[in-house]
Amino acid sequence: MSVILPILLLPAFLVGMSWMEDRQVQRDEARTFRVAIVGSEAEFARSLLGEASPASRFQWVSVEDPGQALETESLDLYLEAMAPEAWATLVEQGEAEADVIPTELEGVPVFRLHYHSSRTASREGASALQMKLLALREVRRDSLLLGAGFPAPRSEIAVLHTRDVASDEEVQGAMLGRYVTLLLLGLMILGGSALSTDTLAGEKERGTLATLLTSAATRNELVAGKLMAIMAVAFSIALIQVLNLWLFLGLGIIEPPSNLALRVSPELAFLLLVLFLPVIALTAGVLLLASAYANSYKEAQLYLTPVLLGLLAPAMAPMVPDLTLPSAMILVPIANIALAARDLMVGQVHVPSLLASWGVTAAAAVWVTSRSVRALHSEKVVTGDTTREEFLGGPDLFRKRVLRWFLVFWAVKLLLDLNVRFDDIRLSALFSVGLLFLAFPLVVIYYFRLDPRKALALRAPRPGVWIGVLVGAPAGLLAAQGLFRLMQYVIPIPPEVLEGFGQTLLPESIPTWQLLLLLALLPGIVEELTFRGVLLHGLRRRFGTLGLALVVGGIFGFFHFQIFRIPTTAMLGVVLTLVTLYSGSIFPAMAWHVLNNGLAIFLASRGWGESLEGAWLGWVGLAGLILALGIIWVFRTPYPEVGPKAGRGQAPGPDAGRQGETRSASGRASPET
Amino acid sequence: MNDDFVRTESLTKVFYDESRGEVMAANAVDIACAAGEILGLLGANGAGKTTTLRMLSTVLRPTSGNAWVMGHEVRDAPERVRENLGFYSASTALYPKITPRETLRFFATVNRYPASKVEARVDDLIRRFRLEAYADTRVERLSSGMKQKVSIARTVAHDPPVLIFDEPTVALDVLNAIELRQIIAELRAEGKAILFSTHIMSEAEKLCDRIAILHGGRILATGTLNELREGTGLHYLEDIFVHFAGVRDEAEAEVRNVMPGPHA
Repeated sequence: MSVILPILLLPAFLVGMSWMEDRQVQRDEARTFRVAIVGSEAEFARSLLGEASPASRFQWVSVEDPGQALETESLDLYLEAMAPEAWATLVEQGEAEADVIPTELEGVPVFRLHYHSSRTASREGASALQMKLLALREVRRDSLLLGAGFPAPRSEIAVLHTRDVASDEEVQGAMLGRYVTLLLLGLMILGGSALSTDTLAGEKERGTLATLLTSAATRNELVAGKLMAIMAVAFSIALIQVLNLWLFLGLGIIEPPSNLALRVSPELAFLLLVLFLPVIALTAGVLLLASAYANSYKEAQLYLTPVLLGLLAPAMAPMVPDLTLPSAMILVPIANIALAARDLMVGQVHVPSLLASWGVTAAAAVWVTSRSVRALHSEKVVTGDTTREEFLGGPDLFRKRVLRWFLVFWAVKLLLDLNVRFDDIRLSALFSVGLLFLAFPLVVIYYFRLDPRKALALRAPRPGVWIGVLVGAPAGLLAAQGLFRLMQYVIPIPPEVLEGFGQTLLPESIPTWQLLLLLALLPGIVEELTFRGVLLHGLRRRFGTLGLALVVGGIFGFFHFQIFRIPTTAMLGVVLTLVTLYSGSIFPAMAWHVLNNGLAIFLASRGWGESLEGAWLGWVGLAGLILALGIIWVFRTPYPEVGPKAGRGQAPGPDAGRQGETRSASGRASPET
Repeated sequence: MNDDFVRTESLTKVFYDESRGEVMAANAVDIACAAGEILGLLGANGAGKTTTLRMLSTVLRPTSGNAWVMGHEVRDAPERVRENLGFYSASTALYPKITPRETLRFFATVNRYPASKVEARVDDLIRRFRLEAYADTRVERLSSGMKQKVSIARTVAHDPPVLIFDEPTVALDVLNAIELRQIIAELRAEGKAILFSTHIMSEAEKLCDRIAILHGGRILATGTLNELREGTGLHYLEDIFVHFAGVRDEAEAEVRNVMPGPHA
């Protein structure tokens, strides 16, 4: 029934909508409006309107009190025609807006339309009368121009003719391509949601999931099976609905839009199907994930609205003006496919973008599906109890939640940077860098009851490390310049963008010492507290040294929102993470960071930045960087508990002493994680 | 080398509950069950029976300790463990929209029963559990007694050597409970190792070869009914249970095996 009913109801709904629209048009065309004309210039207005066509939709009426008549609905609207002096009086009394009458038209009568916008007849009558008055004004103006000796009527001044050179297919592609992803997603979600909510959430409620979990099937197999079922059902229903719509349009039961040709070749249909595969998988994956996290059928239904909005929003990308491929939109799942689908339908395909979009959305689908597998591994599926980490809170929970917190922080910072703007770069630095990057680690330390000394790696390094820092900071700057030059070959950045960025960041009006304080010392300290402090501390048991350097460095890079800055800042982040891991302390990374920013500002302020352009300097920088890291490694004091094996066999964790209240009812020792 | 089909070693599970805090649901549980044996887990509600059995079926991960099913570790080879066991409880339901035949076919396949033999196995189970009359009727239309039979047939669909019955009679009427116990006894005769949890003393007395008494997550005693009687000097299992539970409540008694033997 869930398939057959929509097949019948959708065309019925569309036919019904079309009938209602036709009826509305007929009613509007048949409607007449009761209008009164009042005021000292009423005669002039009447004579003017008397020139209108005899088949007028206006019924002229006389009333004593037009305001009262409008209130009591015995009148739809009234036109108040007044002398300019009367209007001036109203302006003086504050009952009319000043500057409505252009100065060159001073002295002409003023018409004021009074209507009631909440009533259809009044609203539409006002609109119709306004149109009529504007048309009359044009006719009168033309006759005045002719009377004044202007040589030709307006239509002969210049004749405009338009010719659309786009083919029917291109017009159709541009129109249909804007909506095709949205339509497919909407139909899929409608079709697949019933099965998805039933498939895991419903099974939890019925107890069949418990049966399935005790079978020999792996969690991967279970999720793959469920996913394919949702994909098949959702896509089949969507396809049936599209074919159904197509059929009814073809039979003429529903009127297609005037420029919709409804021709899609089999080749194009096949390409679209292949293109949409990751979208179908991602949609099914998201539906399944919502079901996996819900404890009951009803709870899963509650998740459908945010799921619907979350999936449909990126599918609207083709409707946004000037949003095209290739662009950064390649990185946004669904939106990239929606744009690629439109391009495909218009016949303007950029193959690398199309392939990259397919890959990104497919990767998103795999990731979402893996989350469902993880949800099935969770004991919460069966017991509903909280985990040890959730129950105890504190450092163990932070290790589990660290990436989630940084993701939220990233989104909050992005929103604040976009919406809270200061004209003065100093205020901007104090707020966006100083306040946010200082507040975040403090909040994390307080909320998760971390030991600040451990969480921020506040340990003294061995003295030899400082030699490495002094060598490494300038070398790192040179290496970053080299990397930036390399990046130009991959993603060329227009010089005006870089110039604009430089002027914003380093305005000439601000003394260099203030820039050094706010853009070198301040971020050098607080950004390190955030990234090489709490982030590194939270992730330390998940990855080895190299993995930590890449992940922490990468996240550091993504916090610099200008795309052209991400590679170089990520490189700096990788190096600073290695420095912290080798020295066991945050202080060398802070010093390196301050020196790096300070040198860059100093060189820019002296106009010496261009002198670092030589390619060989990049290689010198890289060599210096390796030397510096080598020196630090020689004088190393390893960062504690690095790597996945570090946490095993230690019960409780290193910060357990601070866990304090365990809210334990039994009073027994907590077990090993 | 051990002959036990199922064995646990200091199997422990800790839960964290908002209202009760840290809960040691199973505390260093040591049990073993051999082929052709029914081991009864006897305990009140909340004693740790279901938690122990769920750890054995790999649905829950042990907090510490370990367990083996047919030599496979529950932590390292969960799929192999589940291939070798059938799990039945009041909470393991059936799919309502498919028939008993489809149910048996599905679970035999999912549990890796050889594909070429699935149909013969399904036909055999339908005959054995006398499901012929409603083998092709949707499960949702069956009575609770019929559903119970289908559920047991589902549990043994892949012919596993180990069977777990977690409070199977809790929602059954007397006649259905008797029939279920008969089926379990037949499965024992076929050489299955069976773990049977219950809080009904008479059921444990009638069915189980050995009984492990659980209380507060701990095994307080393990032995045959006669061994338990001799160890306590009491005749009725109910009195024996109260004896052990009472002793533990009074003095947080250590785990005691009345007659340490090959399965202790």
